[in-house]
Amino acid sequence: MAVIEMQKLTVIGLNSGRTPFIHELMHLGVVEINSQEGVVNDEEWMSDIFRTSNSADVSRLEADISRVSTALEAINRYDKGKKPLFHTREEIGRGKFTDYMNRTKTETEMNVETAVMSYKQIADGQNEINRLKGIIAGLRPWESMDLPLQTKETKYSVVILGTVNIKTKFEELLQAVLGKAPSAVVQQVSADVQQIYISIICLKEERDQAFEALREFAFNPVSFTEHYGPPREVMKQYETQIEEIQQGINEKEALLAELSGAKKQIEFLYDSLSMHRDRAKIVGNMLSTEMVFYFDGWMPKKAQPEVEALLKEFEFYYEINEPESDEEIPVCLQNGGFSTPFEAVTNMYSLPSRHDIDPTKILAPFYFIFFGLMLSDAAYGIIITVACWILLKKFKLEGMTYRMIKMFSFCGISTFFWGVIFGGWFGDFFTVAGKTLFNVDFVIKPIWFDPLSEPMKLLIFSLILGGIHLFVGMGIRAYMYIKEGHPLDALLDIGLWYILLIGLVLFGLGSSVGPAMVTVGKGMSIVGAAGILLTGGRSKKGILGKVTGGLGSLYGITSYLSDVLSYSRLLALGLATGVVAKVINTLGSLAGGGLKGAIVLLIAFVVGTIFNIAINALGAFVHSCRLQYVEFFGKFYTGGGRPFVPFERKTKYIKILK
Amino acid sequence: MAESLFSGEFLALAGAAIAALAGIGSAIGVGVAGEAAAGVVSEDPNKFGQVLLMQALPGTQGIYGLLIAFLVMVKVGLLGGTGMIDLTMIQGAGIFAASLPIGLVGIFSGIAQGKAAAAGIMLVGKKPSELAKGMLFAAMVETYAVLALLVSFLMLNSIQV
Repeated sequence: MAVIEMQKLTVIGLNSGRTPFIHELMHLGVVEINSQEGVVNDEEWMSDIFRTSNSADVSRLEADISRVSTALEAINRYDKGKKPLFHTREEIGRGKFTDYMNRTKTETEMNVETAVMSYKQIADGQNEINRLKGIIAGLRPWESMDLPLQTKETKYSVVILGTVNIKTKFEELLQAVLGKAPSAVVQQVSADVQQIYISIICLKEERDQAFEALREFAFNPVSFTEHYGPPREVMKQYETQIEEIQQGINEKEALLAELSGAKKQIEFLYDSLSMHRDRAKIVGNMLSTEMVFYFDGWMPKKAQPEVEALLKEFEFYYEINEPESDEEIPVCLQNGGFSTPFEAVTNMYSLPSRHDIDPTKILAPFYFIFFGLMLSDAAYGIIITVACWILLKKFKLEGMTYRMIKMFSFCGISTFFWGVIFGGWFGDFFTVAGKTLFNVDFVIKPIWFDPLSEPMKLLIFSLILGGIHLFVGMGIRAYMYIKEGHPLDALLDIGLWYILLIGLVLFGLGSSVGPAMVTVGKGMSIVGAAGILLTGGRSKKGILGKVTGGLGSLYGITSYLSDVLSYSRLLALGLATGVVAKVINTLGSLAGGGLKGAIVLLIAFVVGTIFNIAINALGAFVHSCRLQYVEFFGKFYTGGGRPFVPFERKTKYIKILK
Repeated sequence: MAESLFSGEFLALAGAAIAALAGIGSAIGVGVAGEAAAGVVSEDPNKFGQVLLMQALPGTQGIYGLLIAFLVMVKVGLLGGTGMIDLTMIQGAGIFAASLPIGLVGIFSGIAQGKAAAAGIMLVGKKPSELAKGMLFAAMVETYAVLALLVSFLMLNSIQV
């Protein structure tokens, strides 16, 4: 299927051509370069060959990048402009980009400097404000005191400030202090929920006695040596200071907001630097001697002509080999047309390993059908498809996001289809609206049947779909066995199950077709079951192993049962959409007819529909994935392939055209 | 008194109420997932969309419960404007029994799914690319709520009134 064929590339080139070559290789963006870590272990070679590493360059560039990204973060925070729904990259030609960078670099770097500085000053300012606010909060309880804070003593007296717990009785404290130090003047300055703030003035010689008395009350002395003047004035001073700092911050913020005009240049600089960094970094994956450098890696077979042309242009030595059978090859998927977006589903699970086949093409139609069946509302389908289509038109999406949106636009079509089949148009909105507002009976007839009145029919249909899905999965397993050269395994592990399962279905349900069917089914079941019992343990050693192996295999029939029943969710989720829509419409219709009724109906309809689409599309997405991952992949797929990561421009904001 | 308690009408309404109790499971589940989500977003606000998606997953049990409750109410004529129809005790008891699966399974699976979703959210916090797997773990739990919904629905559908 569609795992791209890879080839191994080995190159030796002259050091003098390395830098321009790396430039061009990045432009091509089709070669993955292997890390050469631990490759050269031979003592003899070690002295001549070294892994070129320019980590100094790399870390310098990293530092630059982090500065630019700080600048962008700062600008984005104060950017008042509207942010787009999706992040897209701006397209630009290669020459144009170089031109642009040369023209704007100096100015942009200055802007970055300004942004980073301003951001730092804002942060510093805010820290300072917090510090001052803390001091002010500490001074607030002493606000009513007239004494300057720095005053600790006069010629004959000392000033003691401090706190005691709020539970302390002030009267008792006062008496105790006066008892020991009769000259003391004790004042309660203020109190809050935790503490009482107390000032005590007494003669110097009575100081120790006063402290002795205070100790019993767990007195906690405080001092304000760093402040000058009475508390009220000190606080005022600090408040003015805060205002000044705040003003500075506001100015810087305005400056940053202004810089948002230069954001584009800074983003360009960011990408330019990160490409530069990547180029410097990749050199670390190459081996060098005095004169030449070496690297190996992977490239898709179809990229061979352009890579060869480049290598010939530089006159480098190269070899292109087919991969050896035990090598781990990086995986890149390519499917055509309809199935491309469904690569997202495969990707989310795991890429195929060397022994797997790409399941995308096969799962695509099933995913398409299941999603639609679980949502099954014609109007919702139209909404989803149109919304996705608008997104695709409006934004130049790439990668995973693009695939997902594209996939949903397809799934919307399927939803529409099943909606028409089962007669769901916003649930039964048109019927309800017709009845409440215009008093007419208006029913959109389903093309096939209405699942709400005949759920068993849809349940059986769902299980049949599930059976087909599972059988296809098993078929792929058989195909893989045959391809690997084990046709016997295909026959015994898959063929016998086919016979048993089909036999069981005929045995159970064949009577509606004719009694002969039941007999045939019975025969097939017995043959299948006996075959599985006899051959299931063939790889095990010893009689006991073979017997238990056979029994174990046959016991696996329970997993087929649960697998098939799992598809009943197709019905359940389909019903959920329909009934929730019905709930919404019924709620809307409760206000009756007339203008008021119409408004209520409309509001309930709009809000409810958005809710219903959101929650049920999520459900359909998750459960379609589950059916693929658990039931379908369980039959044949292991995954675990390593994604192909070519050396290319990994840019965030721009896309340089080829 | 006892007579009215065991009347078909009351049993049917009690059934609708029990079905709606599935919302308890969803409320707890979404709550647990929300706590985890807030933790992840505090580290990286950009993950908001992803974790919100995960948080929504345990919410479906409540919807399934509502769904059965609604169908019961339609069946007994509460929402049709015609007024409630008369039910025999057998019919009422049948409706009551039909409501039990989604009511009970909804509560417990909602809570369990909430825990799985919370763990999935932690997974997304550490490895954002593994969102699908985290969702899948939570969806595995939901299977049983779906099955209960199906049982409730099929039972309810087969009761003649």
